[in-house]
Amino acid sequence: MEKLTSGQPAAQNPRPKYGGLYNAWVTAREAFWIALEALTTHKLRSFLTLLGVVIATTTLIVVMSVINGMNLYIADHIANLGTNTFILSQFKWAQGSEAWLKARQRNRPIRMEDYKALKEYVHGYKSIGATASGNRVTAKYGSRTLYDISLTGVTPSMIDIGQQKVAYGRYITESDYLHSAPVCFIGQDLVDKFFPNVEPLGKEVRISGGLFRVIGVAERIGTTFGQSQDSFVQIPLTTYQRLFMARPSINVSVQAWSSAQMLPLEDEVRSLMRVRRHLRYNQEDTFGINASETIMSLWQRLTSSIFAVTIGVVAVFMVVGGIVIMNIMLASVTERTHEIGIRKSLGARRRDILTQFVIESAVMAGAGGLIGVILAVLISQIVERLFTSAVPLSGIVVGLILSTAVGLFFGIYPASKAAKLDPIEALRMEG
Amino acid sequence: MESQTVASQLRESPAPPDNIIILAQDLWKIYDMGAIKVDALCGLSFSIRRGEYVAIMGPSGSGKSTLMNLIGCLDTPTHGEYWLNGRLVSQLTDDELAYIRNKEIGFVFQTFNLLPRATALHNVELPLIYNGTPPAERLARAEEALRMVDLGDRIHHKPNELSGGQRQRVAIARALVNHPSIILADEPTGNLDSTTGEEIMALFDSLHQSGNTIVLVTHEHDIAAHAHRVIHIRDGRVDRDEPLE
Repeated sequence: MEKLTSGQPAAQNPRPKYGGLYNAWVTAREAFWIALEALTTHKLRSFLTLLGVVIATTTLIVVMSVINGMNLYIADHIANLGTNTFILSQFKWAQGSEAWLKARQRNRPIRMEDYKALKEYVHGYKSIGATASGNRVTAKYGSRTLYDISLTGVTPSMIDIGQQKVAYGRYITESDYLHSAPVCFIGQDLVDKFFPNVEPLGKEVRISGGLFRVIGVAERIGTTFGQSQDSFVQIPLTTYQRLFMARPSINVSVQAWSSAQMLPLEDEVRSLMRVRRHLRYNQEDTFGINASETIMSLWQRLTSSIFAVTIGVVAVFMVVGGIVIMNIMLASVTERTHEIGIRKSLGARRRDILTQFVIESAVMAGAGGLIGVILAVLISQIVERLFTSAVPLSGIVVGLILSTAVGLFFGIYPASKAAKLDPIEALRMEG
Repeated sequence: MESQTVASQLRESPAPPDNIIILAQDLWKIYDMGAIKVDALCGLSFSIRRGEYVAIMGPSGSGKSTLMNLIGCLDTPTHGEYWLNGRLVSQLTDDELAYIRNKEIGFVFQTFNLLPRATALHNVELPLIYNGTPPAERLARAEEALRMVDLGDRIHHKPNELSGGQRQRVAIARALVNHPSIILADEPTGNLDSTTGEEIMALFDSLHQSGNTIVLVTHEHDIAAHAHRVIHIRDGRVDRDEPLE
């Protein structure tokens, strides 16, 4: 008991620690646990309170995930013309409808002669190939039929340039090409349908009336936006000309040695084509040169507008969520007036009470953000199965920071109300 | 704050001697209710020495509660000077008052005023939290204070798991934990049965014997009889100020 002697003169006992950063940290930590406890005691109320923030965070992250997933997908599957490859074709892709209408009148198809000339006179490419795609065709093997197969005539070099990889067998060779042999290189869908338990190599498949011997099978690619990329048949371009179309419109793929070489090579191809078509300096190209960037830039223009709309929606949800949180915090301040009075009587300053309630609000909103993130990850996984989605780390970070910031902001008003309470009045309120 | 106190001391009367822990001079508290003004305290003066055990008595409406709020630094007087432990506190700001409350005053309330969802230990810790005592020291001091009031085995109980007397002892531990200048008890036995009330008063007696200054606000003569001096308040003034045997 002798320790508990009453007050020494004040001057002898200064408390320099009082009011320091440390103190704020202690208050913050205490407020954090109080907030968690308040959240878990009133589960339904908490859920309803946090709904706005949860929906906002979920929306934000899901949209970010889908766009991110689609970006990866496009880069991987659609815009992937092959490493350092550009394509010469009749039209430039991804241009506005007006430009396209003009190009439709002006541009002429690329022909085999163009390909041969390019192959001959352009220097420094790593590889050059041509493809001719016709209509969708029907393939038959025995009694089985597959509709809507893409049929492409290719040069042997396309194996180096295109997306296909040989799973087994071989690709179309120079010999097949020279002799316009009736052979085909098939995608996995045909294997699944025609040769589920049989060796496909050497079998003859009937395509649009002609018989083709299977010489090779491609590795599975998968689906793009729900469209199978494995239902294709490739045949030598010469065979294509012999059986289907003598003078097809073709696309020429040119592969450079490095990305730095891409532009000079494109220029070389462009000059040669302009010379071949006798274009004057003031005339526009009557053909298109397309690289991966062409598709990506179009895509990014599209997604940026989707994203802008999303930001608007998320902002509205966040504000609504923030106001709901503010409302609940105001109720909480009223409910806990007595507690505030007790704390003040024990020496809590305004800023201690302010910190406590602001942090409580931030923790609450942050918890909503966390639920939103978890929900978004789950939704994103479902979307990934059906479509495409990849949760970006930045999305999670932004979601958590944004929701916490909303809680901080909308907690300021209720917290300052709590901080300004008169201790006597507050103590008189029986909780 | 220090400089302001010094400045105030120059303007006002000099600081009281060191053995005077409370000096109230001509305290006025006027509540402005718009049309009418209510004088709750009308020029009340008294002083309390270090180590005294004083009861403040008075009928309801006498200004007793107002005086208690002033002594407890929950409020400031309209006029007059209030010196607490050598410091003029009658003109301090809210946050400065909070500091004084934290350091100089240990409250014991009629309704205990414990945080209902916090453990006894956490309740006792609170004043230490607000002055930034490091966690280890805080815990040790809170536990010690609880042991002092014979609740060493109940430190993790919440208020609703404790009896009324035990709750009041938690409140007393909380009041003691910061080694305040005065212990200010407002009807500390008002919500307790007489047996438990006697136990609590015995605790106050022993606290006084170990050197604490105790100010007891009550309207019960039995309770006031524990003090060594009674200040009677009536109509906002000191009616009688008499020592007890």
